Amino acid sequence: MGSRYRGVRNLSAIEVKNLTVRYDGYVAIEDVSITIDHPSLVVVMGPNGAGKTTFLKALLGLIPYNGTVSIFGKSPRKVRDRLGYLPQRERINLNVPLKVRDVVLLPLISRKTGIKRYDVKRAKEALEAVGMVDFWDSRFDSLSGGQQQRVLFARTIVTDPDILILDEPFSAADVRTKLALIDLLHKLKREKTVIIVLHDINPLVECTDRVILLNRRVLAYGTVAEVITEDNLEKLYGTKIPVIRQGPVCYVVGGDRHA
Amino acid sequence: MLDILLIRALIAMVLIAVVSATIGSFSVFRGSTFFVSGIAHGALAGASLGIFISLNFFGVDPLLIALLFSVFFAVIIGYASHRSENVDIAIGVMFAFSMSIAVLFLSMIREYASVAWGLIIGDVLLLTASDMILLSVSVVTVVILFFVFYRRLLFVIFDPESAEALGLHVLRYETLLFVLIAVGVVALLKCVGAILVYALLIVPAASSRRLFGSVEGTIAGAFIISLISGLGGVYLSIYLNVAPSALAGLIAAIIYSISLFR
Repeated sequence: MGSRYRGVRNLSAIEVKNLTVRYDGYVAIEDVSITIDHPSLVVVMGPNGAGKTTFLKALLGLIPYNGTVSIFGKSPRKVRDRLGYLPQRERINLNVPLKVRDVVLLPLISRKTGIKRYDVKRAKEALEAVGMVDFWDSRFDSLSGGQQQRVLFARTIVTDPDILILDEPFSAADVRTKLALIDLLHKLKREKTVIIVLHDINPLVECTDRVILLNRRVLAYGTVAEVITEDNLEKLYGTKIPVIRQGPVCYVVGGDRHA
Repeated sequence: MLDILLIRALIAMVLIAVVSATIGSFSVFRGSTFFVSGIAHGALAGASLGIFISLNFFGVDPLLIALLFSVFFAVIIGYASHRSENVDIAIGVMFAFSMSIAVLFLSMIREYASVAWGLIIGDVLLLTASDMILLSVSVVTVVILFFVFYRRLLFVIFDPESAEALGLHVLRYETLLFVLIAVGVVALLKCVGAILVYALLIVPAASSRRLFGSVEGTIAGAFIISLISGLGGVYLSIYLNVAPSALAGLIAAIIYSISLFR
């Protein structure tokens, strides 16, 4: 199975217009309107409770919303086979004693009765990409947090989606995991659209095309140089955060922001 | 006569072990063991209502009403679990409501309360031919649906958000799992009673989850532990002249206690 949109450039992968999500009367995100090009890497930043995960879930069509979300011109529910989602690791039920191979195979075989050799090959390739193929027969719940994160990342890419939606993929990740995933994201963004929620943009600052600063509403949306400014970060987090600029690249001092 | 009752009891224990291996294991994986207890009491409420209707209006199998009650609760809880992360309160309300219904109707049919009492404690040595048919049909239905939807149920239990993102209808599959549990519980009601359903449905699966290191291992282990508990209970009851389900529950609990030391 090949990516339908491989080689396609400057196509609008995602168009969001006047997106508002409410939970029991509480407004989680309000009037969000953005366009995301394909391929590209977009980082979503914001304080806790800013609606970042809600935004991702709306893109995936997992929650009801007002407004319009269009992915390659269609509603999210109609292009689910082209989307790859990595939820926060805490959402995974570790009480199920799955093996690593089961975790990665599930998206490929959940609707089938048998397992084809081709499915196994793809699962092994995905695990190889994150350096976890040697753990094929290991129990998922016996792995470290970083290793689990890498396996879940492999599961996200095993279906070869055009759009990757990643919710805090570096949480609980050790340095090795972080470096492995960053390296992989650099490669993936050449052909895919990656939307990634991060608290610390620094590790990906050089390959980020656009940044969304979200705090229920979009405070800023643009390139790293346009958006990552001390004024914007102060508006976003409510505290002064120094930014160091080196040409077109800028780094947030004390990167991890959970404020 | 005793021989046929004993054979039925042994077959019933094998069928119970199948339910424990499949539905019991997935209940343990999902952390829905309180639901099993709640649905057993829901089934008891339905059976009490069924006995009341039979005595006062028209003839109806109490287990059929128990099944309808349990499936209704399963659908409600399935919906509640989709809307809220913690469904324990919803199950607790269902539990209290069920017991209120059960006590209400049992107090209105005092002279026939022994029939309902049979469903509270059960007796696997008193199964009729029609009980065996109901048990067999229920277990076969549950097992077929379980294996048809095995991987989808597993995915939904393991990571519902990703399953939904990939197009699986999580509400539908969670409700299916709850309905399968409900059918399994009602199937066991006449054999082991509402109180001990938990002992034979969940305890073997919980022990197996601790002892074996995979999904398939847990399912196979739960079958063996449930079978040992059930057959051991029937065997000992013949010599000790006490309720086999109680002995089966004790054996299952002892095995679980041993599994804690692993």
